[in-house]
Amino acid sequence: MDLILLLEMIVAAVAAALIYTIIGIIPGTDETAVLVPVTLILVLAGIQPVVVLCFFISAVIANNLMDAVPAAIAGIPGGVMASPLIEHAQLLKRKGMADQSLRKMAAGSLIGVLVSVPVSLLLSLLLAKNFISLAEMIKDYANPIFFAGAVLLALLSKNKLLALVSILPFTLLIEGLRYLYWGIGVVPKGTTVFISFFLGITIGPVILTLFELMDKEKREHLRSDQLRTIALQKMHFEWKWFNPFSALKRREWLISAGASLISCFTFILSPVGMTTLLGELFSKRTKDPVDRASIAVSSMNALANATYLSGTLIPLIALGIPLSPVAIGPAHALFDAPPVFTATHNMYHVLSHTDFILATVIGAGVAILVAYSLAIKYAQSICSFVFKRIPHEAILGLFCAFVFLLAYMDAGWINIGGVLLIGLISGMLHRLGVGYGILFMVLYAAPWLVSVF
Amino acid sequence: MAADKKKKPDTIEIWDDIVRIKDLVLAIGVNSFTTLGGYFIAPNHAPMPLLFGLIGAVVGFIICSLFIKPKRIFEETESGN
Repeated sequence: MDLILLLEMIVAAVAAALIYTIIGIIPGTDETAVLVPVTLILVLAGIQPVVVLCFFISAVIANNLMDAVPAAIAGIPGGVMASPLIEHAQLLKRKGMADQSLRKMAAGSLIGVLVSVPVSLLLSLLLAKNFISLAEMIKDYANPIFFAGAVLLALLSKNKLLALVSILPFTLLIEGLRYLYWGIGVVPKGTTVFISFFLGITIGPVILTLFELMDKEKREHLRSDQLRTIALQKMHFEWKWFNPFSALKRREWLISAGASLISCFTFILSPVGMTTLLGELFSKRTKDPVDRASIAVSSMNALANATYLSGTLIPLIALGIPLSPVAIGPAHALFDAPPVFTATHNMYHVLSHTDFILATVIGAGVAILVAYSLAIKYAQSICSFVFKRIPHEAILGLFCAFVFLLAYMDAGWINIGGVLLIGLISGMLHRLGVGYGILFMVLYAAPWLVSVF
Repeated sequence: MAADKKKKPDTIEIWDDIVRIKDLVLAIGVNSFTTLGGYFIAPNHAPMPLLFGLIGAVVGFIICSLFIKPKRIFEETESGN
């Protein structure tokens, strides 16, 4: 590995940490929707895979750490991964402990990264060594496995029957569009349109709302005359706060580390689900509400990072197919970004173990350095900058533009309509309680499922 | 009823935050224009179109952030009880 490449990796990691510091703070941003388009464009632009991986790892950590910042000091979640801890963060904020809560969260994130990076790397290298034949075998059955995954996720979801019944129609929608594109010749026969459909699913709820705006009655109904009021708690900074262990009690960091360790082994389960389950499980037994909330916010932040890192790294290094909710969602572009990455030629195939270790360690190290110090020292100024200056419209506009661009690149102008259609249907299904995971799995399994008939 | 409607602001909630419909349409328009515009004016060999598209997206984002006001009421409170 030469020096220039190393330098590129560091630059990419710093850029990712800075960009996702801002994005992480913006309320309500869905992790998959903000991570995939950017990673994807980097992959397609021909950036070296090891640099992209470094960027991605740094982006994930910065995003997860910064998700917690508005939760601590304003009481609103910065993203989906911060939603499990919001109740606890609000309790601490009500007690006037926003600064402590923030430091506990940041320290928790740090522990999550420090535990999950070595454990995930070790686990995946062990798996890769001992189960090469298993990985090969799984590959042959990947499509039926994705179908089984969709069924399993459907059975675990809130609306079981609805989710199960929607699998086949959604398959037909996807394959119908693909055959149409082949039929009219916008895409050469056999080329599977994937990425733009994937993004259509991710921003489905936004597309559905945009369509509803065109209906007068719905528009009146959707109107909310209340602006969102955000109360930010002022904080005073002290240098000793940089020591993560000063923020946490012994019990808190032990629990955070333990929960992170467990979550590395459950990488095939949903990250939000695991974060909620383990975080609540470990904090529940503490009687004092403040202590309980403290344990919850630190361990849940540790878990957010640990679930994301293990869910990305283990399938990526050991299997080469996206067999975890994180891999099939936010980390998707590392596995599949045609024509650069395909199921038989992705990071798993092109990167050596040294590359993986270096990219992960550099990405994680830089993200921690940048995002942790920004969170501790400048949380308040960053938050007020974002809340005062970055309009939500600009974010939504940006991601819609990304989706349009990638739709055009996949299959020409007609595909913008196709992606809107997929967004509309998946937005509707999502609102009815069919999770993204199910829809992503169906997207993978669709060609196989149709061939069964 | 008519007067009531006028009073109602043109704002809705998407993705957990408040937006004004007109601004949102404008933002989508501007961003799509700069992003796709960048993609099409770029020299026609990989990876230039994508990089130009990305730059266009960033430009569009900055333009929108300068001209659209966030719809959040923002207040800072002192720490402690």
